[in-house]
Amino acid sequence: MTLAAPFFLWAAGVVALAVVAAHLLAWRRPPAMPLPTARFAPERPARVVSRAVRPSDLALLAVRIATVMLIGIALARPTIAPDRNGTARVVVIDHSRSAGDGFAVAEAARAVFRPGDAVVVFDSIAREIPEAMVDAIGATRAGGTGSPARGSLSAGLVGAVRAAERLARERDSVEIVIVSPITTDEIDAATGAIRSRWRGAVRVIRPTVVPAETTATSRVAIRAPANDPVAAALSLIGPVAAGSAVRVVRDEPTTADTVWAREGGTLVVWPGKSDPGGWSRRVSRDTAFAVAAASGSAHPGDLRGTAAVIAAFGRAAMPPGDRVVARWGDGEPAAADRALGDGCIRSVGVVVPVAGDLALTPAFRHFARRMVDPCNGPPRLARAADSVVSRVLSAAVRGADATSGPSRERLPDAPSRLAAWMLGGALALALLELFIRKGEPYAAA
Amino acid sequence: MRDERSGPSRVESRGSLLDAVRGVKWPTLRPVAGAMPGAHQSRLRGAAPELSEYRAYRQGDESRRIDWRLLARSDRAYIRLADDRSIVPTIIVVDATASMAFPRESLAKWRMACDVAIGLAAVAHAARDPVGLIITGGQGVRHLPPRTRRGIVGELARALDTTSPEGSARIAGALVGTRSRSRIAIVSDFLGDAEDVRRRAGEIAAAGGEVHAIHIVANDELDPPVRAVLAVDPEDDSIARPFVGDARAAYLTAFADWRAALAAAWRGDGLTYTEAITSAAPSRAVRHVAGAGVGAAARARVEAR
Repeated sequence: MTLAAPFFLWAAGVVALAVVAAHLLAWRRPPAMPLPTARFAPERPARVVSRAVRPSDLALLAVRIATVMLIGIALARPTIAPDRNGTARVVVIDHSRSAGDGFAVAEAARAVFRPGDAVVVFDSIAREIPEAMVDAIGATRAGGTGSPARGSLSAGLVGAVRAAERLARERDSVEIVIVSPITTDEIDAATGAIRSRWRGAVRVIRPTVVPAETTATSRVAIRAPANDPVAAALSLIGPVAAGSAVRVVRDEPTTADTVWAREGGTLVVWPGKSDPGGWSRRVSRDTAFAVAAASGSAHPGDLRGTAAVIAAFGRAAMPPGDRVVARWGDGEPAAADRALGDGCIRSVGVVVPVAGDLALTPAFRHFARRMVDPCNGPPRLARAADSVVSRVLSAAVRGADATSGPSRERLPDAPSRLAAWMLGGALALALLELFIRKGEPYAAA
Repeated sequence: MRDERSGPSRVESRGSLLDAVRGVKWPTLRPVAGAMPGAHQSRLRGAAPELSEYRAYRQGDESRRIDWRLLARSDRAYIRLADDRSIVPTIIVVDATASMAFPRESLAKWRMACDVAIGLAAVAHAARDPVGLIITGGQGVRHLPPRTRRGIVGELARALDTTSPEGSARIAGALVGTRSRSRIAIVSDFLGDAEDVRRRAGEIAAAGGEVHAIHIVANDELDPPVRAVLAVDPEDDSIARPFVGDARAAYLTAFADWRAALAAAWRGDGLTYTEAITSAAPSRAVRHVAGAGVGAAARARVEAR
């Protein structure tokens, strides 16, 4: 046990000695002795100060000394150093879209993991896996598919620091190991400040990852009525690239749709009628006999070239947008994108007839696939430069080579609750003293 | 009080005391008016064998008291006078209140009072004076009337030995029924109704009686313990005084002043006052009391001449 302010313990000792002295010099009633001529002595209070060789009221004295010493020790702020041994690591595993397929990250994390280490996985948020085991590391990317969310190294560091502070009470030293490719979008302005909260070492392992879009796929989310031809066409195009957050609505977009698009999604508004609300009307309603979507996507598995559909389409309004992604045969915009926050809203003015099998034709399926391409194409996840990572993760560390060196720093002991318990004990003893004094009316030092 | 016949008598243990007071005379302070022949000078002058003086015959004198031989030789009628001797009833009043039971372990005050009372009784009985006893204590007043019979001193001793001092009592009340022409010896510490006792004693003395005050003082009262104690009056628990600091010195001064004032008051009233300290021999107090009478008798003879 160590004391942060030992002066208070010494002061308590002095006070305890004073208490003992007070019990030696106590107000007490002297022993009674019959004396027939007592009336000739002067009248004075029957209780006088007298000195004694042995302290009086030993129980009361013990309680008082214990009370004083407990208060003194509590004010001295004692801390009991836990029985710590060994080192521990907090393995911070990137689970975001930056980790690609995640296998490389999992392998690197598995290599550095040891029993007893803590595992924190993060994408846009961080969470610690309890009872972390090697199997848990692999499970972080079960099925080989990671989160499409953007990774936040700051969130990962917050979770890692929390776990590291807990481990620091049990181990001699704790090291944070970040297993992540660390792309540029994972570093933000708060990363350095959060890193500075941890006074220990931070080691970074940056595996080379395979982009997720080469393998990972998902289906387009669509909200459409039953027997919708566009939904049928999209169901036939198969999965699209993972990380492509695309939502197709065949009715009026809701507020939730707009918010979702603002956060980075591609909202495809593809009305089922030719004159949706909010669109600018054409001078006259007419019929177009062809529509084509220009190729602009670099999606690897996608069909290259122009996707054209030859059919009669009624048109009454012009889709709003800044960037035209499909045009009618006469060059008029048939679909256009409008940027909104981190995402966009794509308005498609191609009204697909419910009757017939136009939607099931390969040409229309190609066209439909072009319409669900992300506005900005697949996310570009550039690895952050080593110099940037080193600067961000080591700037706040005093002379520590946080990115490569295995240096570790022992953390100070956590605040102990011993002082609170001692103050509580002192309060209990003070109450006990009241009861003892109640039983001894003449014992009042 | 217990029956005087129960329990062993301490008369035997007081043999040394009785030996010490044997031969001590305790004459009265002034001629007594008694008619019974005794050892004390009587106010009456009669036909005692011992010639005191002649006086010219006056009308009314008994003719048988004329010294006929002197008349034959000188042809003058003279009456032959002689000092009569009389007895005087002696009553010993003993204070048996709780204050006399001090110190509690040795009861030195009570033992001193008993020894002085028995010593005075023995001296008085030796002069063939009737001797009585009044014991006044917490359980009432016990009265043994004056007797001259043999063994009366033993009876008095047994009465005292079977008495335990306790409680409180008024000695002045016990003096109310006493004969005014008796000789009364009050053995007490005078911590009760001292003023009333002195007033009643003065009345007895004014009526021709004789009162002796024997003040019993314990040695522990003269020299209380130095350590801090709380002195409590055994007769009144409300009187509790701590003996700390200068309280002891103040106590000694006050106690000495009170004793001096008490002695002066008694003597001022024509009474005798004797202080008997427990550390002294009881016979000394007895001799002192008797000596007052001896001195007074001597002064009376000188004045008569």
